[in-house]
Amino acid sequence: MIRLTKVELRRLMARRLTAVGLAGLFLITILLLVATWFDSQPLSAAEERQAQQQYEMAHKDWVEHAEEMRTQCEADWKTQPNPKPKLEEMCSYSEPKPGDFGKPPTVFAQIMPDLLHGSSYFLAFAAFLIGASFLGAEFSSGAIGNWLTFEPRRLRVYGSKLLAAATGFVPIAAVVLAVILIGTFLIVDRLGDTASTTGKVWGDLSAIGGRAVVTTALAAALGSVVGLLLRHTAAAIGVVMAYLVLAEGVFAAFLEKAQPWLVKLNFDAFVRHDAQYYVTECKSGSDGSYACDYVQKTLSFEHGAWYLAIFTVVVVLLGGWVFHRRDVN
Amino acid sequence: MSDVAISTRGLRKTYRTRRGRKVVAVQGLDLEVPSGGVHGFLGPNGSGKTTSIRMLLGLVRADAGTMTVFGRPVPAQLPEVVGRIGAIVESPKFFPAFTGQKNLELLAEAIGAPRARVGEVLERTSLGERGKDRFRAYSLGMKQRLAIAATLLKEPDLLIFDEPTNGLDPAGIREIRETMRALGEQGKTVLVSSHILAEVEQVADTVSIIGHGRLLASGTVAEVIGGGTAPTVKVAVNNHEAATRILTAAGMTVRADGNYLLVEGAPDPADVTRRLAHQELYVSELAPVRADLESVFLELTEGEGL
Ligand SMILES: Nc1ncnc2c1ncn2[C@@H]1O[C@H](COP(=O)(O)OP(=O)(O)O)[C@@H](O)[C@H]1O
Ligand SMILES: [Mg+2]
Repeated sequence: MIRLTKVELRRLMARRLTAVGLAGLFLITILLLVATWFDSQPLSAAEERQAQQQYEMAHKDWVEHAEEMRTQCEADWKTQPNPKPKLEEMCSYSEPKPGDFGKPPTVFAQIMPDLLHGSSYFLAFAAFLIGASFLGAEFSSGAIGNWLTFEPRRLRVYGSKLLAAATGFVPIAAVVLAVILIGTFLIVDRLGDTASTTGKVWGDLSAIGGRAVVTTALAAALGSVVGLLLRHTAAAIGVVMAYLVLAEGVFAAFLEKAQPWLVKLNFDAFVRHDAQYYVTECKSGSDGSYACDYVQKTLSFEHGAWYLAIFTVVVVLLGGWVFHRRDVN
Repeated sequence: MSDVAISTRGLRKTYRTRRGRKVVAVQGLDLEVPSGGVHGFLGPNGSGKTTSIRMLLGLVRADAGTMTVFGRPVPAQLPEVVGRIGAIVESPKFFPAFTGQKNLELLAEAIGAPRARVGEVLERTSLGERGKDRFRAYSLGMKQRLAIAATLLKEPDLLIFDEPTNGLDPAGIREIRETMRALGEQGKTVLVSSHILAEVEQVADTVSIIGHGRLLASGTVAEVIGGGTAPTVKVAVNNHEAATRILTAAGMTVRADGNYLLVEGAPDPADVTRRLAHQELYVSELAPVRADLESVFLELTEGEGL
C-alpha cells in the first residue's frame, strides 16, 4: 500500500494537469500579493493633504456649531413622541478625529483571515479538479484495466490513489498558504500596520491555514472519488458546477434554512472556526402586523468539522464500494 | 506445476446494457488450457472471448462458475498468481501522455521490480530509444510491443493475448506470431484469442473454439481439424469415369470437383495411386485436402445460429 501510494504520487506529480494546476496556483498567489500590495498603499502626498484639509474644515465646523446644534437638538427631542430615543444617541455631536479622514492603514491581523479563507477556496477547487482528472483520465484512457492486471487488489489500488491525491496536496497547500501569509506580512509590515499581530493572532492564523490544508486534502480525495465514479474529468467538473449553481445557489436562496446542510457553509464554519449566515424570519404580531427580519445565525466549528468528516467518509466508502464491484473494460 | 494452466467451469456473465437489456456474453463456459505451449481461443466477434479473459483477470465479475489459474481459484487467490500472468486485453492501454518508459517505470515500481528491468524489456521488444516518446505518439505495433514489454516486467509463466494482431500490418503480425511461438517453446503457456482462424492455426498447439459464450470444441489442432476421419485427397487424373468406378469399387467415396476428383475414405493416399496405376490410370497430381479450421468452425457454429 505504501509502495503503491508512492507510485501514485509519482504519477500525480508527473501529470501535465498537475503542473498546469500548480502554475495556476502560483499565479493566483502572486496576483493576490500584488493586489494586497496595491490595496495597502498609503495615500499620495496630495491626497493626504486633501484629507487633512477636509478634517480641518470639519473640525472648524464642529468648534463653531456643535454647541448650537446640540441645543437645537435637545429642543427637538422634547417634542419627540414616546418612546423617545435616548438623548445621548440622538444629539451627540462628537469631535471629528484626523483618523476619520483619508485612508485607514491596512491592518495585518484584520485582512489575513479573509485572505487565507479565500485561498482555501481556490486551493480546494484546484485540488478537486486535479484529483478528478487524476482518476477520471485513468478510466477514460482505459489504463486502469492494465494497472489492475498488475495489482488486482482493488481496495489497495483505490486507497493508494486517494491517499496519493490527498497527501500530494498537503505540501502544495501548505506552501501556497505560507507564501500568502508571509508575503502579506512583509507587504503590510512595510505599508500598513502589523503592530497588533500578537501571538494569539499568529496562532489563529496558523489554525486557519492548517484547516485550509485539511480542506484542500479532502477536496483532492473527493475529486478523485468523483472522477472515479464518473470516469471523466469533464463530467466531474460538470457535476460540481451543477451542484454549486443548483444547491448552493438556487436552493440556498429559496430555502435559507437548508444552508447549514450545504457544503459551503460547513466548509466556512470549519475553516473560519464558526461561520455566520442569514435567514429571513417573519413573524405576525398579535395586533395582526406581519414583519420580516434578517437574522444572523452562527454555524459552529464543530458542526462544520463533523459535517465534512462524515461527508468525506460517506463519499469515500461509496467510491470504494463502487470500484470494488465495478466491471473494468 | 499443475499440468492445467487455466480451467473454468460453468463460467457465466450477463451484461446489462444501458437500456436495461440483458446480454449473455458467456454462458456456462468450460475451458481447459494445458500448461506449456500456445493455446488458441477461437470464436467469432462477440462470442465472449474478451469477457472470459476479463473474468480470469478479475476485471469483470462472473455471475456464476469457477475458475482456476495454476490450480488457484480466481479471483479469490488472484493476488497470489497475478505475478505469473502477463495479459494484454484488447488494445494496449497505457497513460497516453506519459512516455513508454515512464509507463513501464510506474508498473515496475508498483510490483516492486527493479527499475533496470525497464530498460531491459524495452530492448527486448526493440523499443529502445522510442521508449522516450509519449505513448500517444506510438504506432499500433509499438503499442503492442510496449504491452508485451510490460508483461515481461513480471517474467510471467502465462501470457494472455486478446486478438493481438488486430489492426497490425503483415510485418507486425509476423512479429507477434513469432513472439508467441518463442514463448510457447520456452515452456510458457500462451493463451491467444482470435477470430481469425488461419492465424491461430499457424501458432497454436491446442485450441478451444467458442460460440455464443459456450465451448464448441477443444483439443489439439489436428484433433479439432481432422475430427478423427481419414483425410480427403484431391486427385488429378485423365479419365474421371474410370477412376471413379475403380475407387468406388474399393469402398471410397468420390466426388467431382472441377478438373479434380475428391476422394474420401482412402486409408492412405498411396492406396489411391496404387489402385489407379494397376488399371493404367496415372495420377498427375495428388494432394491431401486438410479440413481447415475455417470449415470446422463453420460446421461447429452452424447449429448455433451465429
Ligand atoms: N461492457 C459491456 N456491456 C454490455 N455488453 C457487453 C460489454 N462487453 C461485451 N458485451 C457484449 O458481450 C458479448 C461478448 O463480447 P466479447 O466478450 O467482447 O466478445 P469477443 O471478445 O469474443 O468479441 C457481445 O455481445 C458484446 O456486445
Ligand atoms: Mg474481444
